[in-house]
Amino acid sequence: MVSDAFALTSATEQIHDVTLVPLGVTLLFMALLVVMILCLALEEKLHAKKSVIVGLFAVVTLFLGAAFDLLPFGSITVGGHEIDLPVYVPAINWNVIAIILGSSLFVDVTSRSGLFTWIAIKLTRASAGDPLKLLVYYGVMTVVFSAVLNNVTAMIIVGSLTGVSLKRLERDNLLLGFLIVEGLLTNVGGLLTLISSVPNIIVGTTAGISFARFFVVAGPFVLVATVVTLWLGARIFNIRRLATPEEREKSARLVLGFDERDGIESNAFFWFGAAMLIAFIAVIATASVLPLIRDLGMGYVAITFGVIMLLRFKAVADKFYEAIDWDLLGFFAALFVVINVMEHALVLEIIGKGLAHIIGLGDTLGTGLIVVLGAAASSVTDNIPLAAMLAKILAANPVIGSDPNSPFWWAVVFGANLGGNLTPIGSASTLVAVTIIHKYKLNLSFVGFVTRALPFAGVQILLAVAYVVFFV
Amino acid sequence: MTRVDQFESAFRAADKPVFEFLQPVVERVLVVTDLRGASATAFRDQARDFLAVLGNGVQWDLDDGDSFDTIKVLLERVNERKPDLICTYRNLHSEAWRWPYSLGEYLDVLTQIVACPVLVLPHPLVTRTNGHTLQGTDIVMAVTTHLAGDDSLVNNAAGFTNDDGTLWLAHVEDERGFGRFIDAISKIDAIDTDTARERILAQMLKEPGDYIRSCREVIVTHRPTVHVQKIVTVGSRLTEFRRLIDQYSVDLLVMHTKDEDQSAMHGLAYPLAVELRETPLLLL
Repeated sequence: MVSDAFALTSATEQIHDVTLVPLGVTLLFMALLVVMILCLALEEKLHAKKSVIVGLFAVVTLFLGAAFDLLPFGSITVGGHEIDLPVYVPAINWNVIAIILGSSLFVDVTSRSGLFTWIAIKLTRASAGDPLKLLVYYGVMTVVFSAVLNNVTAMIIVGSLTGVSLKRLERDNLLLGFLIVEGLLTNVGGLLTLISSVPNIIVGTTAGISFARFFVVAGPFVLVATVVTLWLGARIFNIRRLATPEEREKSARLVLGFDERDGIESNAFFWFGAAMLIAFIAVIATASVLPLIRDLGMGYVAITFGVIMLLRFKAVADKFYEAIDWDLLGFFAALFVVINVMEHALVLEIIGKGLAHIIGLGDTLGTGLIVVLGAAASSVTDNIPLAAMLAKILAANPVIGSDPNSPFWWAVVFGANLGGNLTPIGSASTLVAVTIIHKYKLNLSFVGFVTRALPFAGVQILLAVAYVVFFV
Repeated sequence: MTRVDQFESAFRAADKPVFEFLQPVVERVLVVTDLRGASATAFRDQARDFLAVLGNGVQWDLDDGDSFDTIKVLLERVNERKPDLICTYRNLHSEAWRWPYSLGEYLDVLTQIVACPVLVLPHPLVTRTNGHTLQGTDIVMAVTTHLAGDDSLVNNAAGFTNDDGTLWLAHVEDERGFGRFIDAISKIDAIDTDTARERILAQMLKEPGDYIRSCREVIVTHRPTVHVQKIVTVGSRLTEFRRLIDQYSVDLLVMHTKDEDQSAMHGLAYPLAVELRETPLLLL
């Protein structure tokens, strides 16, 4: 399936012939793309938000695209009606934007029901304060929250609970290990469903992979990778079970102080939140087969659930609008525009030709190489532009583009997600983990993170290569 | 990172001190008086009757007016006897009890040096006006400026409450101090004053409220006939405590007097101990 935005762009192209692009112009745009990716990698150093960086490149590339007569200006036809739209509007994949906007709104409002803190504290109490049990419970919770909510929210919830609970248990010495393992597991959990991470949404919607199919393929890998990561984490960070009955008794008493019902202001809203979360997952999972919903898309589902939850706070809904990550949404919108211009400048075609060599290596070597190269690339820069670019290139490939079951789609998904575990800037959730680590005054440099994360990320990427090559 | 703070706050709020019951052990009581002979013995008997809650297995020692004439000697005798509780009154070996403005040098030192609690009874020569009969500890009130997590205060108060008695756990948040913070907040443009006032006050009152609930749940399993009651309010602490003590006809007031940061008596305890001269006080 080709996404809506791509379809709209194609419609435009039917009306306006795009002139042949000189190689020099293509190289100029490629240079701009490289500079943009470098700027994103150096986001922290530049003290600039992603949306501003990519927004700047969007306006510059649009201007240059117009100057070099690359852009298909004019009206587009939708359902037999001719509509005048600015060229950059149909360039944006609005389904992705709607999914992200609706999901974040839904998660934010649902979190006010106390549901997520209830689950988190229940698990803390169930661990009886035993560090190893706590690592397993928090690890599983990280994976599930990453899958159901999103990586960043999962890291924020589990990371903040980890800080508070380990302090309470007087186990501050284990905090670094816990937070690193949780940060690494967000990207594993982020693989579980189609809506768990933005690369999944972009690649999944572009390839036409259904929610259920995505879950069935990714699930076994996520299970194995989670178990291996937790096992490694316990060994590397020396996280063990409590040895003496006195230690066990003391820890059990300390966690008893956590009251899971503290954050629940209304029982009715708590249960409503729980029911809506289950319904949200169910509808998203079956969106591709539900009549009407199938046509309206997952973005519609996400927005609908967000709006329904907002009814509870209808008088103060503006507070939730303020909390939306507009930087992220602005970043996506601008990114889609940049990539669209790059497509018209034939930059993607050149990259696609390079990628074609790798694809030509076959399903075994080719997919394996894409996992590794994708991981390497997304470890130093944002995995979203990478996923968006590769998805568009694969969609243009006549064989892969028409086959949602092609392993190449999965190679991009696994590489883009797991690469985030190699460095602290590789993904937003590991960045959150490092921020929490620094908040607790724990000393962890960039190199320190890489050194500690490398064994985990290395094993996960090797597992992913084997999985994509032999099982997908 | 505001969302990290948001969830950290939620988890910190959910992390509450849980009361742990520990019955105070009182096997040996030392009665210290400046009376002599039969008067001293009568005072000791009065103290024993008042503390019937301790039961019959307690050894009651008496240091009367002849057994000490300096603080040093009194402290030596306390060290020798190693009591679990000292019963005495204000202004020992002094006429200052006629003027209700001090505790007297003996009590000042005892409360700060001796590890065991000190029960301060009304001076035996003062005519009581508030109707206290010193017949027992049916109504006990624990007062503090920070109740949440203060197991020692609650355990002592519960331990000195008669069966079928009422234990009041009182926390009064200082209105003036709170007002000063809100006044400062009202001058900071980044903080919404109304929200700050509402949320901070609610949280400050919630913590002792939650703790009292925990105390009640635990105490009922060990002392099922003791009724635990909650007072959590805002006001001028001294005025409010005075009012509450009068309102509930408190038989025994329990409070901390030691302060790790200073050698003088704990800030709230001193004025209460000086002023509430007709109410028995258990000073920890």
